[in-house]
Amino acid sequence: MKIAVLQFPGTNCEFETLVAVKAVGMEAEIFRWNRPAGELSSFDGFVIPGGFSYQDRVRAGAIAAKEPVMRTLTEEAEKGKPILGICNGFQILVETGLLPGRAGRPSSRSGSSVPKGAAGFINGIDRCSPEIDMALAQNVMVSAGKIVRRGYYCDWVNLRHEAPIRRCSGSFAIERGALLKIPIAHGEGNLVTATPGLINQLNEREQVVFRYCDRNGRIINEFPYNVNGSRESIAALCNEQGNVLGMMPHPERAFFAWQLPAFDPRKQRPDEPGPGRRVFKSMKCYIEVNA
Amino acid sequence: MSLINLRVWLKIPDAEAATVKNTLVRRMGYGDILADVKKERLLSIEVDSGDPEELARAFARELVNENKESHKVLIDSLQFEEGYVPVKVSLHIEDGEAISTRDRLRSRLGFQNVVDVKKATIWKLSFRTLKPEAEIAAKEIAERLLINPHKDSFEVLSQI
Repeated sequence: MKIAVLQFPGTNCEFETLVAVKAVGMEAEIFRWNRPAGELSSFDGFVIPGGFSYQDRVRAGAIAAKEPVMRTLTEEAEKGKPILGICNGFQILVETGLLPGRAGRPSSRSGSSVPKGAAGFINGIDRCSPEIDMALAQNVMVSAGKIVRRGYYCDWVNLRHEAPIRRCSGSFAIERGALLKIPIAHGEGNLVTATPGLINQLNEREQVVFRYCDRNGRIINEFPYNVNGSRESIAALCNEQGNVLGMMPHPERAFFAWQLPAFDPRKQRPDEPGPGRRVFKSMKCYIEVNA
Repeated sequence: MSLINLRVWLKIPDAEAATVKNTLVRRMGYGDILADVKKERLLSIEVDSGDPEELARAFARELVNENKESHKVLIDSLQFEEGYVPVKVSLHIEDGEAISTRDRLRSRLGFQNVVDVKKATIWKLSFRTLKPEAEIAAKEIAERLLINPHKDSFEVLSQI
């Protein structure tokens, strides 16, 4: 069971992500973006870690989404292989069209200079961009109807698992309603969409995997519980098939109990697993079940 | 009421414009027609009183870093040089940075005559093709790379 941890220029969480993947018993290696993309097909699963790929130029994830490795990853996703995108990885998956999961549709937005019949990457060239259904926009923190803060924010947050067990590869072994304390650190995690009915559709199809909540699991759609203004406090989404998960919080930063904040009593028991470990264990479990 | 347009660009090489050009040429198939990409930021400041020329100079002192940036002021108009197709990209959702700039000008720097501030990025695309094809390609590039339609909108602007 071998996992590729993708590295783009500007990725900065690849090494701790690699540690997390290996610590749950999977083989893993860092896969640089400029390796032959076809080599990805020898892996059983993929993690796109956090960071600032291409320095967030144009917008977070936009440039990395055009790399040939992402087209190959789209093909691997269609085979049902698990993909976990964390923070910037989530942004890249959204910009690629892999989330919320209508990937591969030819773009109705493409203009006339795209040759007819051409679709996807040809010789490393993106001839037909996929439709994008949402954006992770700049954070806007709202409390009592007022904007109280904007921009980059990092803190420990509480997450409630919304999907049923086995619905999604990255939460395959997590029961519905489970609470996880995991840190966030981002400036663009505010899920917005202009696609009519998309949020309802995601709810109906149980594609909303985690929501921000208070420590008792109550969803309170304002700051400081909803940390970035995301629609319906959505923190993580999977695609319709369930094999691709994107999440803004960083599970690799809550993988060991010693990583937890000082006020958390579990920190005094450093041998215990941290809550983020469940995400990586879920991925392993998903691969075992679907092998 | 006057609209002060402050066009600001880097004197030093613009890495973001270079990345956009590389992506368009190497990853998106525009190598045959795209010659160059430049970038500017545009601040459009609406004022309800005062001498716009004098205000523009004061705004530039506050909002432009002369160590690394150049600027040009246009009052009640917005024009660009020949040779590029300018594409204006701005947020259609609330623009927190523009609001912060407005509040900074009004509250901290005392420009009470500032009514509104809008912010945009101008991508200046240079093509090897003639104008109609160039404008079609610019629109396509905006849709495929420069914007995410769920938060951004764009406009292909006319030149001088």
